[in-house]
Amino acid sequence: MSSTVTSTDVTNHAIAAVAPKMDPLHHFLVTKQVDVSFLGLLDISISNSVLWMWIAIALVMIFFRLAFKNPTTVPGRMQSLGELGYLFIHGIVTEIIGDKGRPFFPYIFTLFYFILFCNLAGLIPGSFTVTSQLIVTATFSMSIVAFSFVYGFYLHGSHYLKFFVPSGVPVLLMPLMVPIEIISFLARPVSLAVRLFANMTAGHTMLAVMFFYVITLPWWGAWLPFGFTVVFTGVEIFIGFIQAYIFTILTCVYINDSIHMH
Amino acid sequence: MDATAAALIGMGLAALGFAGSGVGLGVLFGKAIEAIARQPAAEAQLAKYIWIGMAFVEAVALYGLVVAFIIMGKA
Amino acid sequence: MIATAVAATAEHTASSGMPQFEPSVFGHQIFWSIASFFILLYLLKTHVLPAIEKVLDARGNKIRSDLENAEQSRRLAEKAAIDTQKQLNAARRMAEQTIEEARLESARYREMARESLSQELAKKKSVALAEIETAKQKAMTELHHVAVDIAMLATEKLIAKNMTKTETNKMVQEAIAAIQEHKGQVH
Repeated sequence: MSSTVTSTDVTNHAIAAVAPKMDPLHHFLVTKQVDVSFLGLLDISISNSVLWMWIAIALVMIFFRLAFKNPTTVPGRMQSLGELGYLFIHGIVTEIIGDKGRPFFPYIFTLFYFILFCNLAGLIPGSFTVTSQLIVTATFSMSIVAFSFVYGFYLHGSHYLKFFVPSGVPVLLMPLMVPIEIISFLARPVSLAVRLFANMTAGHTMLAVMFFYVITLPWWGAWLPFGFTVVFTGVEIFIGFIQAYIFTILTCVYINDSIHMH
Repeated sequence: MDATAAALIGMGLAALGFAGSGVGLGVLFGKAIEAIARQPAAEAQLAKYIWIGMAFVEAVALYGLVVAFIIMGKA
Repeated sequence: MIATAVAATAEHTASSGMPQFEPSVFGHQIFWSIASFFILLYLLKTHVLPAIEKVLDARGNKIRSDLENAEQSRRLAEKAAIDTQKQLNAARRMAEQTIEEARLESARYREMARESLSQELAKKKSVALAEIETAKQKAMTELHHVAVDIAMLATEKLIAKNMTKTETNKMVQEAIAAIQEHKGQVH
């Protein structure tokens, strides 16, 4: 966590302003390292957020390259782990979408490992949590829902509009049900993005608050929040997995909805 | 009322949303344990849905947190 | 506590409490999220996924061929078992046949033995009977001779006492009749 950053920061503040100030959100701050824009239209600056996206990518590649450095038919430990990671996503895709999900497998595989390693890399002290940026999770969730919408139209044509008309509902209730269906569809990207973002933000904020207490309390009192941070880091690893899993599952569900309707 | 004070009250109220999530988690795990007690063979299958459900329920509390943070920005 | 947090955050984010809601950092993150995703997708597709699939396919093929081998072995074993069973059955049948033959043979031998024994016995009996008969004949002849001799002696003595010829004959006849009678008693 950026606890070290926060703590040193807070310590500096303490030196400057006598009393230390709590600033648990400081480590979510995006700072542009290289300010670049493409023809003045597209902002392609390199910030700490972008840097940690690349580090996450590098970690994914290192993990899988290590796992399959010299692949054998009878796998070693690392290879088993890599295969497990592959079969895990393969299982999700085939279970939720079925055979038609085969073309989406690489995308969903990439999505899962990108989010997972962003979540986990964010737990390295001093790092930046990419998935705690609402705009990043929103970019993914919006793209996914927009894709599922367009793909549904591509597959079913105007027939896809029936997706918003619940079956087995009396005609009288239609003016009520159709807007609800449309709103629930529009809520998909929001809930998908906010779930991941809020989980990451909340966990890291909690850790930052606890680290603040670790450094401000006297040594006999600091053990309590310190012990808590140790336990909570473990919980955060678990949450990082669960959230990446949920994000992937919901992506599959949305794509499945546009393929098979309901 | 001072705007900052109102914002602080609003943030506290937003935290009330955690109660709903707490109830949800209680119901979720209570029912899950009940189900596993009845059908221990289904545990592996249920565990998957328990964790998914937990993530959903937990997210509700975190929406409250987000609201609190948004209010914090407006203060 | 929150007030301090608010104050501290206000220092670096003028517009909002959370750094995440600062719109000036949105643009490049949108671009790089998508770009990073496709970079990772490209890297995984070219370097990782084919390797994993190759390994998994190789294992699948190995398992399949192993299964096929096992199936073949099983079939061979089954055939061998059937052959063995057949051989066993044949052997059993042969054994039964042999036993049956032996039984018949022994019965025949027993029959033959009994036959020859009874024949021998019968032969011995007839020989014995014949011997008895000859002995009896001999005894009878001897007896006859003795009787004749006695009769001759008696006759001579009677003749010596001067008996008439007719009386003598009559007496011989009587003696013979007596012998005959004696013979009947012997029989």
